[in-house]
Amino acid sequence: MKLSLNWIKEYVDIPAEYELSKIAYDLTMATVEVEGWEDIEKNFDKIIVGEVLGLDKHPNADKLTLCQVNIGGGEVKEIVCGGSNLRVGMKVAVSAPGAMVRWHGEGDLIEIKKSKVRGVESFGMICASSEIGLFDLFPYTEEATICDLSAFDSPAGTNVAVALGINDVILEIDNKSLTNRPDLWGHYGIARELSAFYGLPLKEIAPCEISAPEMEITLEDAARSPRYIGVKIEGLAVKPSPFEIQTRLWRVGLRPINAIVDITNYVMLATGQPTHAFDSDKIAGHITVRRAKDGEKLLLLDDKELTLTPEDLVIADDKGSVGLAGVMGGKRDSVLPETNKIILEIANFEPIGIRRTASRYDARTDAATRYEKGIDPQRVDIALAVGMQLFAQIYPENKVTGYRDNFPQKLERKEVIILLDALASRLGKRLPNAEMQRTLELLGFSVEFAQTEKGEIMKALAPTWRSTGDISIPDDIMEELARMHGYENFEAAPIVTSFTNAINQPMVSLDRNIREFLAFRCGMREVFTYPWVKDEFINAILGGSNGLHSLSAPPAPDEKFLRPSLLPNICKAVAGNVRYFNEFSIFESAQVFLSGEFVSDYDKREALPVQRRNIAGAIVGGAEDVTALFRRAKGVLEALPRQVHIENYSFERIEKPFYADETVWLNIVFGGKVIGNLALLSKKAALACGIKNNAVMLFELDIDALQPFTSRDNKFTHLPAFPLNEYDLSLLFDSSTKWAEIYDAITAKKGDLFRGVSFVDEYRGKQIPEGKKSVTFRLLLGSHEKTLNSSEIENFANSVTKRLSKQLGAETRAQ
Amino acid sequence: MTEKLDAILKSGGEKIAAAKTVAELQDVKASLIGKQGALTEILKEVPKMDAAVRPEMGRAANQIKQQLTALLEARVEEIQLKASEISPDFDFTVPGIHPQNGAFGGLHPITQMCYDLNDTFRSMGFEIFSENDISSELYAFDNLNFPAEHPARESMDTYWLEGHDSGEGGKRLCLRPHLTGASVRFMQTHKPPYRFVYPGRVYRNEETDARHERAFFQYEALIVDREFPFSAGTILIKSILSKVFGRDVPVRMRVGFFPFVEPGFEIDMGCLVCEGKGCSVCKHVGWIEIMPGGSPHPNVLRAAGLDPAEYTGFYVNIGLDRLVMMRSGIDDVRLFHSGDLRFLEQFA
Repeated sequence: MKLSLNWIKEYVDIPAEYELSKIAYDLTMATVEVEGWEDIEKNFDKIIVGEVLGLDKHPNADKLTLCQVNIGGGEVKEIVCGGSNLRVGMKVAVSAPGAMVRWHGEGDLIEIKKSKVRGVESFGMICASSEIGLFDLFPYTEEATICDLSAFDSPAGTNVAVALGINDVILEIDNKSLTNRPDLWGHYGIARELSAFYGLPLKEIAPCEISAPEMEITLEDAARSPRYIGVKIEGLAVKPSPFEIQTRLWRVGLRPINAIVDITNYVMLATGQPTHAFDSDKIAGHITVRRAKDGEKLLLLDDKELTLTPEDLVIADDKGSVGLAGVMGGKRDSVLPETNKIILEIANFEPIGIRRTASRYDARTDAATRYEKGIDPQRVDIALAVGMQLFAQIYPENKVTGYRDNFPQKLERKEVIILLDALASRLGKRLPNAEMQRTLELLGFSVEFAQTEKGEIMKALAPTWRSTGDISIPDDIMEELARMHGYENFEAAPIVTSFTNAINQPMVSLDRNIREFLAFRCGMREVFTYPWVKDEFINAILGGSNGLHSLSAPPAPDEKFLRPSLLPNICKAVAGNVRYFNEFSIFESAQVFLSGEFVSDYDKREALPVQRRNIAGAIVGGAEDVTALFRRAKGVLEALPRQVHIENYSFERIEKPFYADETVWLNIVFGGKVIGNLALLSKKAALACGIKNNAVMLFELDIDALQPFTSRDNKFTHLPAFPLNEYDLSLLFDSSTKWAEIYDAITAKKGDLFRGVSFVDEYRGKQIPEGKKSVTFRLLLGSHEKTLNSSEIENFANSVTKRLSKQLGAETRAQ
Repeated sequence: MTEKLDAILKSGGEKIAAAKTVAELQDVKASLIGKQGALTEILKEVPKMDAAVRPEMGRAANQIKQQLTALLEARVEEIQLKASEISPDFDFTVPGIHPQNGAFGGLHPITQMCYDLNDTFRSMGFEIFSENDISSELYAFDNLNFPAEHPARESMDTYWLEGHDSGEGGKRLCLRPHLTGASVRFMQTHKPPYRFVYPGRVYRNEETDARHERAFFQYEALIVDREFPFSAGTILIKSILSKVFGRDVPVRMRVGFFPFVEPGFEIDMGCLVCEGKGCSVCKHVGWIEIMPGGSPHPNVLRAAGLDPAEYTGFYVNIGLDRLVMMRSGIDDVRLFHSGDLRFLEQFA
């Protein structure tokens, strides 16, 4: 919203020494956010009034004229001009070198420079109104029309903004900061805030008395239309409004139209109260404010035809609807050039209905924007006063021939009672009663103090314009006092604490421990992906979207499903990165949404879907060595429980995940339940995700199912008294023999010397018979009594070999 | 004779000092006190000398031998101390091999920021809480004093769940549009006084561009206690900003309106680019809007089961994305959810 500082100053006399930057700062701190400001006089810097003294033909161009122009200060300059309406004695707007203008009223601002036009030097230029942003005030139809300032009696050399009396400062207010303050949508409301902040009196707008025959106006839905004033005014004519009125509207961004329409806009910008003028000749019978009929048609001022619903409120006459109440007038009764009598509507409408109607038809007009904030019905009085005063000024001969104030139920002023001790505690200091009283009274409150059993109280009676929901509880009054006292005038109080327990949140720590383990120990990179998933990735990874939760207005039609697994979007991220990297690994920790019973741990009235926190990752490599990739991924999951201090889980094969390769997959099992998976992305799924040349190991784990230890569980064992010995064995096994079988056979009979066995590698290929593989493993041997000699070590190894050949058909490799 | 001895000591000393390696020194030693060494030759002469000078000359020659031996030993130690087995051509500019074979893992920059703040708030005795992503209108709006007709409740702002987008309060489900609803969940399940933070991702149905995202991260902190003047909230704000930017940052609280707070504030920080003088980053006002805050509205405290006459407090809610963007100079918020490693690898 744009605000004119001069207009505000009409209502509150702000001392000249208060600089603009201070006013803007104070408004921002205490009332509304001032996003910026514009000094109109500065925009017209070097754009000055010139007086045409003489006109000569340009020697080289038919359509150009050499103008002798008095630019003030005793200087006369020659300016080349193509204007068609130039005449001697005319006052024009001259853009001297350095001025910023818009060439032919289009494009960006351009700086005027001294230049030659067709061989003749020209001092700047004589402007059309569009070139200096004044088209709305000086409209023209013929091209090459020069802005004629002859009607203004400023001497040559005067800044054009000063000459026109538009040397004002315009504040740009962030509308979002006004949503809770319906009283601030006009200059008077902002003036009231400044009056309270600076302790200056606010000029009163006296209500006006109208005596005229009563008009018939029916309010069918009093709840939706709490007040309706209709004033029938005759003896009017459509003409431009006085220049001062026009420029006021223009300064705050509205186009002047004609005096009648301008008055209605002026009233709204002054008071925040929308008004509307109907051509009363077009009104058949009397005005009724009623709900629209289902399917009723209404042609609006902007030529849009609406098909209404009974939820909409309309202004109607005996023939049908003539306006969409509080939103926009209709075409049928709009003010036209021949209009000479009107019905002026100043009405109050219920905000929610207006907001719904405005959004139903996407008609966010200035009126609707104000009504939907909740305007107090009493404001109609000052709007009427401002409006009638303007009609009297512009149309001294006007006659009020009908009047009706339909106001069944007055809005009560809200009373709030505040305990002063509690107020002081919240504010962190005690404000003097006199200061509180003065501040609140300037804001329109009535204030009384009283002693009660609980201590001294303040009774604050809010003005009607703050009683539509804005002020209702003591906290609201506290805010009024604090912001008017100045938030910067409260010293930051220290935060006082009392210690009872150290914070111990194992599940919070677990999530962080897992992320840090994957990032810092496993070299994986954390990614974030969206909770919604593209259908193609859901289908590729999960095989379909049955039973998934979905959004009713999703980001895209094929992104409606919410993820039950992190893997589809992990695979999408993999597909995005294989273009740039061949080997990498990523992980994500986030929530997934599962089917199941809807419950809430918090409120019986609530029912939420099953939501779990998962951790998932992808380890991506070339397709050549799947075993190595598998071992890396499995190693991450094997190491994780010990590194993040949780109960260990096991790997089993119970149910193959949809996306998994037929062979390479494992379920992660804890407490008898599958809580995750580790698998190679199948070729088919990989291709469906757009991953062509890489092998991808995926894992996913339900963090909420994990059991963190209450503390670290490291257990000390004594260091060996005698050195341990390592002994590597390579044996041939059937290709299908699993390491787990070999391990079980070795550890089935440990004996005194066995200290451990570890897998070294396996090998198939050259020198190994078809259908066989060579497995190398390392025995760790030792004794409590002595250092082992080589025959003792070899004896043990031979017994292992013998057992493996007996149980698993192992053979020693031919030397 | 004496002159000869002096000459040996002098030239011997020079040779010892000039020797660069232990092997060279061995040669020098042999040439002086070895079997055919210069001094040995003189010592051989001593028995043939006149008996009157013999003892003196013998003593003098032995003294020189001891001196040379001491010099030799000192020089050996000196050389060994500086010795290297490695060729001086060794290239110490080759790059190191980084942990994990060069695979640079790491946390997402938002997580880094979140953990930085968690550590700060933990040090002030705050608990860390998290809420489910899917919440209900009851918690996202009703409990937070949003009017029934508030535009944020509409599907053009909030992502509602299909099939659960019409019912009443607790049955109308959405991706949480902000974190504040979680504060009531925490308060309902814990005993006052409270001090806790609750970071998380929130969702808004809007068009995306370099400054707008549908999914973004907030970090909210709440203190609720019997006595808590709103001006103490400044401490929370300053704690966040000084942790993030590594120095004290000027802060101001100005009037702001949010349904769940009363009074409500817009909180600005001094522009760090121009130090408050005004520049294009701060739109020439010297301040940058950084977060909303305020005291919990009495209706919110009531929803949490507290008596607003007894308890008050202070919220701050900060946009993590924006903070990370400011800290690291990122110009497109959409990168956070891109999963693009070329972006993520820039953060350690």
